[in-house]
Amino acid sequence: MRQTPLRSAYENHGAKVVDFHGWALPVQFAGIIQEHQHTRNKAGLFDCSHMGEFLLRGHDAAAALDRLVFSDMINLRIGLCRYSAILNDQGGIIDDCVALRLSEDTLYLVTNAGPLEEVDALLSGTPGVENISDDTAKIDLQGPLARDILLGAGFEALRTMKYWNGAAMTWEGHNIVVTRAGYTGEVGYEIFVPNEAAVPLWERLVAHPNVAPCGLGARDTLRTEVGYPLNGEDLAADKTPLESGMAPLVKWEKDFVGKAALETQRDAGTHSVLTAIRSRDRRAPRHGFDIKQDGTVVGRVTSGTFGPSVGYGVGLADLPRDLSKPGIELTAGPRDMPIETASLPIYKDGTCRKKFDA
Amino acid sequence: MTPDTLRYTEEHEWIGELNGQYLVGITDFAQSQLGDITYIELPDVDRQVEAGEEIAVVESVKAASDIYAPISGKIAGINGALDANPELTNKDPLGEGWFFKMTDVDVTELDALMDVSAYRTYLETCS
Repeated sequence: MRQTPLRSAYENHGAKVVDFHGWALPVQFAGIIQEHQHTRNKAGLFDCSHMGEFLLRGHDAAAALDRLVFSDMINLRIGLCRYSAILNDQGGIIDDCVALRLSEDTLYLVTNAGPLEEVDALLSGTPGVENISDDTAKIDLQGPLARDILLGAGFEALRTMKYWNGAAMTWEGHNIVVTRAGYTGEVGYEIFVPNEAAVPLWERLVAHPNVAPCGLGARDTLRTEVGYPLNGEDLAADKTPLESGMAPLVKWEKDFVGKAALETQRDAGTHSVLTAIRSRDRRAPRHGFDIKQDGTVVGRVTSGTFGPSVGYGVGLADLPRDLSKPGIELTAGPRDMPIETASLPIYKDGTCRKKFDA
Repeated sequence: MTPDTLRYTEEHEWIGELNGQYLVGITDFAQSQLGDITYIELPDVDRQVEAGEEIAVVESVKAASDIYAPISGKIAGINGALDANPELTNKDPLGEGWFFKMTDVDVTELDALMDVSAYRTYLETCS
């Protein structure tokens, strides 16, 4: 298994380490629910160094990304992040991604670990594209206190940073990139640092009394409660953006790989839709459960877990379009657990959009 | 319950006698493997069960796992406190976190289960 630069640092904090897409990563430290609550109430620290990062310099590099995604990456304004997905010829999702316009001629692209080789093969032939994943660690600090903690740790430049913005800056002499984004629904920052800065930054933040180290387990419960999809679970190469809750994001006026397939699907209008679901009690729907309506299979659970902040089971499911509106009663799994469709986000008290004055 | 007086299954359940009834739960190893327990579905009281029958489900944040009857008999009662506080099984798996109790059992079936030293040896093969 590959190790991130933080492996030795978090082993000192009682990490239970698992194999995630070939990477040795912590699934939990003190316990998933405790870490989840700590992130919702204070701040959680996550090692996401397994993820992919690319620098795209110049027009050709930006254009190479732009033709693979359904969003406009050419006209993205400096300082803004944009969520999108990299598609195959059939319009299926190879990976979801976030791009940040760092400067007039530079995009910073963040991708997932699983499909990194495939994404690299699609992009790296183009001049100006540099895969910096092996040299870059990614540390997320997420939670309502994340901003105060970072302001006290030398991150003055993010004092006025707005949600879904990002910038290059320096920390302790290292050139880094920070975005105000995340995977939890809370105020949060994703901090991209050169490998040699990873342990100093982790140690600095984890020493703060309001910071708890968190693993993949809490990351999953936090993201599921707010309905963020996970590539490989909710998103897949045989599912399109229209089937994955991304229809409002698709820029139909531009060209991109897979567009023809998406147009055909849009015009037919019979595709399934990734839909939020919840259970009635503490039982959780699980990935792969069949969903039934009046005893007939109508869909499938793609993600499901107990939601510690809401107190019941939460998840995402592929469902026919007419069953994708909230409040429809269905059953899931071998024991026909009662569930219903829900509106997103299921957990509605997340702080991620909070505005801060200087 | 004290570990020395219990019998154990390969599925990491324990069974032990208390005032003529047989209490059943999961071991400390099982609860630590499951992580935070979020829901426990227990069998109906008075149900007759066969050894090895799936009669309960434990859900943790990570997964759902089946619980089997360690021996045959009748379900004489369940631990109602787990409904609201399933985390009791994480905190005290051999005590307050017990699952159900059985009567009308054939005690010779207990001989097929592991004693504490056999279970400790078995645990070394599990992690």
